Amino acid sequence: MSPPALAALFAVALVIAIAAYVVFASYNAIVALRQRIDKAWANIDVVLKQRHDQLPNLVAAVRGLMTFERDVLTQVTEARAAYSPTAPIPDQAVTSDVTSSAVRSLFAVVERYPDLKSQANVQDLQAEIERLEAMIADRRELYNDQVYRYNTAIGQVPGVLLASILGWTTRQFFAAEPADAARPDTSLGAT
Amino acid sequence: MVPYDARVSSSISWILAASGAGVLAGLGLVVRGLAGYRTALLVADTSTSTIASAAAGEVRISGVIEPAELTLVSLLQSTPCVYYRASVGNGGDASIPDSSYAEERSVGFAVRDSTGSLRVFPRGARVDAPLRFHDETGLAGDEPLGLTIRTGPATQTAEVDRATAIADLLTVHDPRTSTGLPAWQGLRRQSGRREYRETRLEPGDAVTIVGRALPFRDLDDPAGADLGMGGSDVQADPEIAADMAEARAAGTLADDPDAAWGNAAIPGFGIGRPVTSPIIDPAANPLPLATADAAAATKRRFEIAPDSLVLAASAEVPLLIAYGTPTAVVGRDQARFVAGLFGAGLAIASALILAFSVSGGFGA
Repeated sequence: MSPPALAALFAVALVIAIAAYVVFASYNAIVALRQRIDKAWANIDVVLKQRHDQLPNLVAAVRGLMTFERDVLTQVTEARAAYSPTAPIPDQAVTSDVTSSAVRSLFAVVERYPDLKSQANVQDLQAEIERLEAMIADRRELYNDQVYRYNTAIGQVPGVLLASILGWTTRQFFAAEPADAARPDTSLGAT
Repeated sequence: MVPYDARVSSSISWILAASGAGVLAGLGLVVRGLAGYRTALLVADTSTSTIASAAAGEVRISGVIEPAELTLVSLLQSTPCVYYRASVGNGGDASIPDSSYAEERSVGFAVRDSTGSLRVFPRGARVDAPLRFHDETGLAGDEPLGLTIRTGPATQTAEVDRATAIADLLTVHDPRTSTGLPAWQGLRRQSGRREYRETRLEPGDAVTIVGRALPFRDLDDPAGADLGMGGSDVQADPEIAADMAEARAAGTLADDPDAAWGNAAIPGFGIGRPVTSPIIDPAANPLPLATADAAAATKRRFEIAPDSLVLAASAEVPLLIAYGTPTAVVGRDQARFVAGLFGAGLAIASALILAFSVSGGFGA
């Protein structure tokens, strides 16, 4: 083989090697992204479960003294009962939002009961649930960011080619669907 | 008979050498660019976790370096840092072919964001640090400004006491003296040019770290993981070996670490638990006991709770410590990839020129 032919072969081989490297690296990166999304979701699930386990303790601790605030306690209990780890992610997002809202209402009511607020076990439970709420918010942000990166990666070249071959589809965000996230009716009933 | 023209032959040799160098340089850029592409994907595809909500497993943390128990003193500029790579080359001067020297060290540190701090164990990490010092000796052999070669120990406590800080400020080093300098500075006794390069990560630098977070209790070797060493093998340097043999013969160098360091040579004495009981010298003056505040401060600094998450390298997830924010790191690695593509073009063009030169396309 003549030197110019060898040089041409070298050029073709180098271009193919670079293209193959880019495709393989992109494939590995997208597979890693899918794993990260699964892990991020599992990390949210752990904290949702911890909150689910702590809420009965909080309700039991405040029930005795909150004689006139049964509605708030009922809201928290119902929200907790709606938790289902096997539900679709948007449904779990709705349940989580409702639970967070009910817990915030309960904490606001507890502020009105100085005797209750000063109890050590109530303070501890409140601090623990606030910690879990903050962790859910952080991990939700992380999960959604990871989903965003994945959905973007499989929508761009070369990920879009790999996605069409391998049947990868977009993942769902941990967020309420627009219909579920509609503002609650806060009117006083008069129209 | 074909007449011989020395000028044509010389120019062809020059083309062959230049095109061969172009192929090698281009391939080097390609390799560097592909590594940059992979790093850019790794950093860009991992979301930043806040330290307070970080979970065990692969994480990306972005924050500011805080010193832990110790900081390093960099080799060429004597600057407190947590990582440095220093090299002394011959600056292209072929008259001193054996003078190249490189040293790489890192020490454990903490990274802080707005939610907390996390301990980083750097052994086995790939570090992307900025070049902080790059200069050469002058034509007259004068050393560059800013070269302040370390003359003391390579580590210091992270919190320097007031008296030491004042003493350091008031000490004037005479750059002409060479007494007490490290052995590797035998380089200075050689004639010819030297090129100095130092990359560093310093306390206060913004860094992006991608690695595996794990509970401190799961770290196999905390003391070993806290230090990273690399670079040239100091013992293999003939000049250093000769200096050490000389010191050993003079009785100023102990053969045994126990003899040199005493109780401090016991494994685990600094971090973790000693593997043997220390030997107490009854004639030694006992140190005064620490106050409660000092003891509490020391405990906060040195004690790591077993359940605390730390960042360390593992076989599955390598540890990457890169200078700058995630956006800056990704931008830098993407630029390397683009340079790699140009390198591919350079290699192909050089290969074609080389092929035509060899086949007689030029000057035939």
